[in-house]
Amino acid sequence: MPQPIDVVEALLFASDAPLEADRIREVLDLADAQEARGLVDTLRERYEAADRALMIVEVGGGFRMVTRPEIAPWLLRLAKTRTRARLSRPALETLAIVAYREPVSRPEVDALRGVNSDAVLDNLLERRLIRIAGRKEAPGRPFLYETTREFLVAFGLRDLGDLPKVDGQLTLPDGVTAEAAVVSPDGEAQAQQDPGAGGTDLTPGS
Amino acid sequence: MSAEETPTTAALTLRVGEFEGPLDLLLHLCRTSEIDLAALPVRAITDQYVAHLEAMEFRDLEMAGAYLVMAATLIYLKSKLLVPPDETDEQLDPDAEALRQDLEQRLREYARVKAIGVWLGEREAEQALLWGRPVSELPAADEIPLEDLSVHLLERALKRLIEEQNRVRPREIAPEPPSILERMTEILSVLRDTWSLLFSSLTGGERRRSEIVVTLLAVLELVKMGRIRAQQTELFGEIVIERQPGETITNATAH
Repeated sequence: MPQPIDVVEALLFASDAPLEADRIREVLDLADAQEARGLVDTLRERYEAADRALMIVEVGGGFRMVTRPEIAPWLLRLAKTRTRARLSRPALETLAIVAYREPVSRPEVDALRGVNSDAVLDNLLERRLIRIAGRKEAPGRPFLYETTREFLVAFGLRDLGDLPKVDGQLTLPDGVTAEAAVVSPDGEAQAQQDPGAGGTDLTPGS
Repeated sequence: MSAEETPTTAALTLRVGEFEGPLDLLLHLCRTSEIDLAALPVRAITDQYVAHLEAMEFRDLEMAGAYLVMAATLIYLKSKLLVPPDETDEQLDPDAEALRQDLEQRLREYARVKAIGVWLGEREAEQALLWGRPVSELPAADEIPLEDLSVHLLERALKRLIEEQNRVRPREIAPEPPSILERMTEILSVLRDTWSLLFSSLTGGERRRSEIVVTLLAVLELVKMGRIRAQQTELFGEIVIERQPGETITNATAH
């Protein structure tokens, strides 16, 4: 008879997207997300203690099973390549703007960068690191962009609260405060980062 | 589309040097001259900026425009400085001062963006060493979660569909070759007006192999029926088809 912790291991192995504590609770019929989190923690410690090739990380509001960074050279050899494709400097800076200002329109991104950002934004959309969150009620009704869960995964962030704090104008978007950055035990912080939770024009029940 | 755009953008960035735009260049100038952003010295920075601009080559009008707008702003600010009698005095009138503060603000903001960009780059490098499962082999959920979908995905799917459609070349449909009987009738109707004709005139033009075969069979059939005579004086030479003397040409089917 498989133990709950074995099931959690299998769930993590089989999932491609970060697995939320709440999903684990649902699948295993647990009392609360805290119990699910506890199981993951135990599993994570077990992996660490056994010095396994895999580890469990918390990104994008859930848990993922990934290979340890020390294994990377062999994986690259398996892939017959030297490096993984990386984002360009303009792409990274544009992402930074979107992450801190989301939802943000193209003219706003342009103003901050001092150059046209059309191609860069298209590229980020294509890579699914950002997405269209709606339209701004401003002249021309420009699209609004926001970061995706893929962004959080690609940069190993639990949520936007993991971004470094900056003083001045580049403040965090509304709704993401320093408090929310610390993932609360009942997994509410993840819920806040759930895709589609904010920014869109959709209102339930209208 | 985007695949074609990316290399041009990259080439462009190289052309302009390591700068991404006017703010980037301005920030670079401030940093290399160890200038405090709070006291942006318009005089010195304008001269340096314009000097850099002259050395640059642009292929993209919009990019060149962005640099020129910045140059114009700087030169405007500098011109305002020429008015006060004391040249060392960097006092500006209220309008110009507001403009300078705005520029200063933008530079600060951009400096922050750059710093976060660097931080993100480091994160990305760390994460590039980790591999997770790229695609789950689990069956798709019975209900597709709608919150993960966006207009952009729909647009992308449509684009892909259109591209696929463009790749599918129209198939050429070959016309049915005429039947031997049809070809026999055709030959006899030509022979109604003339005594003889060349086989090549029947199969000339762009007629396909199957048509040539059908024509040959039609000729042989007519010869067998005694309706026509066919002569070939040399190997692979021209076949001359003649009406059978005394033969009343009517219709092949009438026989």
